[in-house]
Amino acid sequence: MSFFFQELVNGITTGALYSLVALGFSMVYGVLKLLNFAHGDLYMVGAYVGFFVIQFFGGAAHVRIPVPLLLAIMFLLAAGLVGGLGVAMERFAYRPLRDAPRIAPLITAIGISFFLESSALLLFGAQFRVYNTAEFISLSSGIQIGSVTIDSVQIMVLVLGLVLMTGLQLLVKRTRLGRQMRAVAADREAAEMLGINVNFVIASTFFLGSALAGIAGVMGGLLFNQVTATIGFIAGLKAFTAAVVGGIGSIPGAMLGGLVIGVAESFVTGYISSTYTNLIVFGLLIVVMLVRPSGLLGQVQLQKV
Amino acid sequence: MEAYPVKGRLVLAAAAVGALAVAGCSSSSSSSTSSSASGSASAATKSCVASVGFEGPITGPVASLGAEQLHFAELAVSMDNAANHTQITLVQGDTQLQPAQATTVTQQFISNSAILAVVGPAGSQEVEAVGGPMGRAGMAFISGSATAVALTTGSYPTFFRVVSKDSVQGPQDANYIVNNLHPKALMIVDDQEAYSTGLVSAMLPIFQAAGIKVDHESVSQKVTDFSSLVAKITPDESVVVLPWQIAANAQQFGRDMAQEHKTAVIFGTDGLFSPGTFTISGSYVSSFGPDITAIPADASIAQAAQAKYGSFGTFGPPVFAATHVIDEAIASVCKAGQTPSRANVLAAIKQTNESTSILGQPISFDSHGDLNGGKFFLFKISSAGKYQLIPS
Amino acid sequence: MSVDSQGPQVGADEWVARQAHRREYLPSWLGRAQRESERIGWWPRLAIAGVAAVILPSLGLGGFQLQVGIDAMVIALLAVGLNIVVGWAGLLDLGYIAFFGFGAYGFALLSSNQLSTTGIHLPAYFSVPIVMIAAALLGLAVGLPSRRLIGDYLAIVTLFFGEAFVEFTNNVAPSKLGGPNGITGIDPIRGFNWQLTSNFGYYYLLVIVLVVTMAVLRLVENSRTGRAWRAVREDSLAAASMTIPVNRVKLAAFSAGAVVAALAGTIYAAQQASVFPTDFDTPILILIYAGLILGGTGSIAGACLGALVVMIIFDGLLRSATEAGYLFYGLILLTLLAKLRPWRRLAGVLAATVALGFAAHAIAQAISASAVAGGPQSGGWIDDALRDWVIVPANAQTAGNWGYVVLICLLIALVQVSSRWRTILLPPTLCLASFVWETTLVTQPSVTRQIMIGAILIVMMNARPQGLLGKRRVEVPT
Repeated sequence: MSFFFQELVNGITTGALYSLVALGFSMVYGVLKLLNFAHGDLYMVGAYVGFFVIQFFGGAAHVRIPVPLLLAIMFLLAAGLVGGLGVAMERFAYRPLRDAPRIAPLITAIGISFFLESSALLLFGAQFRVYNTAEFISLSSGIQIGSVTIDSVQIMVLVLGLVLMTGLQLLVKRTRLGRQMRAVAADREAAEMLGINVNFVIASTFFLGSALAGIAGVMGGLLFNQVTATIGFIAGLKAFTAAVVGGIGSIPGAMLGGLVIGVAESFVTGYISSTYTNLIVFGLLIVVMLVRPSGLLGQVQLQKV
Repeated sequence: MEAYPVKGRLVLAAAAVGALAVAGCSSSSSSSTSSSASGSASAATKSCVASVGFEGPITGPVASLGAEQLHFAELAVSMDNAANHTQITLVQGDTQLQPAQATTVTQQFISNSAILAVVGPAGSQEVEAVGGPMGRAGMAFISGSATAVALTTGSYPTFFRVVSKDSVQGPQDANYIVNNLHPKALMIVDDQEAYSTGLVSAMLPIFQAAGIKVDHESVSQKVTDFSSLVAKITPDESVVVLPWQIAANAQQFGRDMAQEHKTAVIFGTDGLFSPGTFTISGSYVSSFGPDITAIPADASIAQAAQAKYGSFGTFGPPVFAATHVIDEAIASVCKAGQTPSRANVLAAIKQTNESTSILGQPISFDSHGDLNGGKFFLFKISSAGKYQLIPS
Repeated sequence: MSVDSQGPQVGADEWVARQAHRREYLPSWLGRAQRESERIGWWPRLAIAGVAAVILPSLGLGGFQLQVGIDAMVIALLAVGLNIVVGWAGLLDLGYIAFFGFGAYGFALLSSNQLSTTGIHLPAYFSVPIVMIAAALLGLAVGLPSRRLIGDYLAIVTLFFGEAFVEFTNNVAPSKLGGPNGITGIDPIRGFNWQLTSNFGYYYLLVIVLVVTMAVLRLVENSRTGRAWRAVREDSLAAASMTIPVNRVKLAAFSAGAVVAALAGTIYAAQQASVFPTDFDTPILILIYAGLILGGTGSIAGACLGALVVMIIFDGLLRSATEAGYLFYGLILLTLLAKLRPWRRLAGVLAATVALGFAAHAIAQAISASAVAGGPQSGGWIDDALRDWVIVPANAQTAGNWGYVVLICLLIALVQVSSRWRTILLPPTLCLASFVWETTLVTQPSVTRQIMIGAILIVMMNARPQGLLGKRRVEVPT
């Protein structure tokens, strides 16, 4: 029974990470109807930023400042830098394509993905960069319920993820910016005619989504320790999957989608075999999509005549 | 271009035509090489000028290995150029560990008449894809990491390798585990690459014959989270075998094990040999290359590599050895007064007989291209994270 | 087919129509060439292209260029097939590569020793049609979700299918399917007492197959099915109310695309003589999409041309540091030529760049000798031309890396600022670009290759979103 709970904890933690990345992806899609394939690479940049912050303050084994301060700096800096990168991406590459056929920004996104990944390879080299989280956050500092261990890093991921998701949901539902985002998502031209500064709203959406990806990158680095130029691809794929399965454009949907994928992977690995994990999870997701074609929490799409 | 006056348009058209003509002339002359040595390479002296190709996964999923191999190849070329007064340049080709790309890169190298021999490719499937064209072109190629048994059964007459085969490593490691670690049950995880599955299929029969209960798992190299897999380790399973290529993944696996309080011992192969990355104390690592930092004769090489490229694992030194073999072959051809060509470099490589090398052993090849007397080295990691050689 | 030849039309503003019509073509002289060539007609153009492709090897193509040509034509065939699904029927299929893999593996299983000790060795005229028919059925199966799923939801399901194919061939039944070791020792294309073993043979075979496929698809494009696909793409509800069987049409699109992909797969498997699961992973799909969209979705010639351009640049030119250098400097010069409109401005910027370069080089040399100790690494005549112009320090790596970051920031700034500042900032940016190229980019050609293809994709999509030969479409948001 404890094995069940252990797998559940593992699944929820990784699921929370997937959800965070999926959130940013879903937000951008909701507002721009754009599948941002470069989103995973923003995760990768966030992970690198976190690594260099650790190095700056003395390296994992000899951190010069207290750990909570280090973590705060890592998260804030990653959010800021990656958010800025997202805004620059939007301004430079996506804005000219706002009125182009939907498939054109897809290729631009792919180009940006290539560009970011290989720039990281060029600047930082191919060797793995390791966070060595265990050096500054001791492995035994988690909680133990029976024989189920929950690491403190896992707890932090869960808590922070929850906080961010609630914050985002509040922002979208209660604040003026959120209202503007929903308006732009519903009908961009009408929103413009109503006096909403569409460029600013879209830039803010990109900033928020990318910042979330950056924070998720730091969390990924803390959890999984190794950082290299290619981690973005898998992260992006999981984000895309989670966002679509949960209902693309829906924030609770992205959260749910990520959790579903994380838990499914965990249980299939634990109870069946890791060899078939991907295959079975794909099969499950196809079934989910067939049963609910617009995703778990997505709105059923009406076709206008 | 309505804004341009007619004269401007004519001038631009002439310039465009001129540029194309120049580009066309330059590229249709002898094929392009990329220079990695600074300064003038066009000196028309009688010195030994040649090019050596390098095929490896420089970008892509195992870029960390390919980059390490490339660095050691470059180091070998620069050290040998200084020692032998040759002018060998290294031309790199990226295969991303994909046989189709290896074929394209090989064709590029074959078309480049300056390239006389090739180091690589890294993967056994790539060797199978390029073996035919290389043989037809008479170009020698030496791999520092292709370990499949089928490669040296005579199908590829120009293929050599400086590492031993799977058929030696798999059973040797499995027997060591059975005889020295006495597990009642074990978990063996492959990383869905040919190298890994080859070793696993060599090891499984030995475990089964010894009556050990085996849990055979498999994760892709792109997976970075092993917590679900680690949770599956039962208390009975006292050994976890990880014949992986990426040490960082194994390190994370070990960390997840520590976090979930699993006490099994990790037994890894070549890819895990990485003193900078894989440091789980109590683990065993079986490697086709020695720890060159522990070989006194290699001190200068190890220091140079450390200074220039940082920490390295086990994939670099064999490539150094392979490149060195080619460099020496070219140098010997030049010393004999001949112009180096693919044919005489191939013949010189076949005659290679180095009494010592970076791998701490003599290098010579048998008739099929295998390294004579290839050894495997078993290391145990101490509590300080240091690799200690277990004498055989 | 110019507007002028149709005579005056009621209710149409002639001048507006002419401008819109002209905008569909490539700008300036390229567009005029395109319009002239359209006078010839589609079929003669196909014949000319085919003949040109056949003559090309005898002009002196070496083994490497032939291999690049073969790779490019396989991707072109795949792009033409993907065009059916994405361009004509408007279904975003992200698992298309699985049909390619299915065709390759099918051919491999029927032409090698994989399945038993002597194996099955069917001649090509049996195995290829069998594989194509099986792929058609598989396309039907994969297309079934398209009945309920639209748009990006269909994309994710097809993506799963594509990933599942790679997982399946890698992990399931390794003794039958080869696992990560793949299937080797595949027979070449053979039948009727001949077999294709040389790259020349496969090149000509691919030219013939590509031309025939494009011809067949042209006929289909103008048939009822083709028109039905376009109708479903534009507005499936309206199409349904016009009695078009929407579901059947979508399935037909998937099936047709699968057949073309499987055909490409069989030729690929025969030419490589081996297949591995990693040959059919997502990066190849990205190349196909890049080619298709760059060439213009919806156009057969566009799909073929775009794929050829992408593959020749990516797989051919960029693999060699010298040719990458030509491409880099050439593209910069071309962009300047195309974008800097007044004649004087262009001359001024170029002159300022040259002067700035020499000045900076002289200053750096005066300050410290090691700052210019390295030389340009491009190779060829570029090296000699640039030796005294670009600063390349002895220890280039760190300087180059910082330069790279600064260059990216400068480029982003260049896009935002006003035109006057842009002219002022251009010469330093150009010098910096050359500096970065000579210090880091050219010494790591494998990584630079990826950077350049990414940059080319971004720039080309921004310059012409509808692709080279595509038509500008207005999408009605639903």
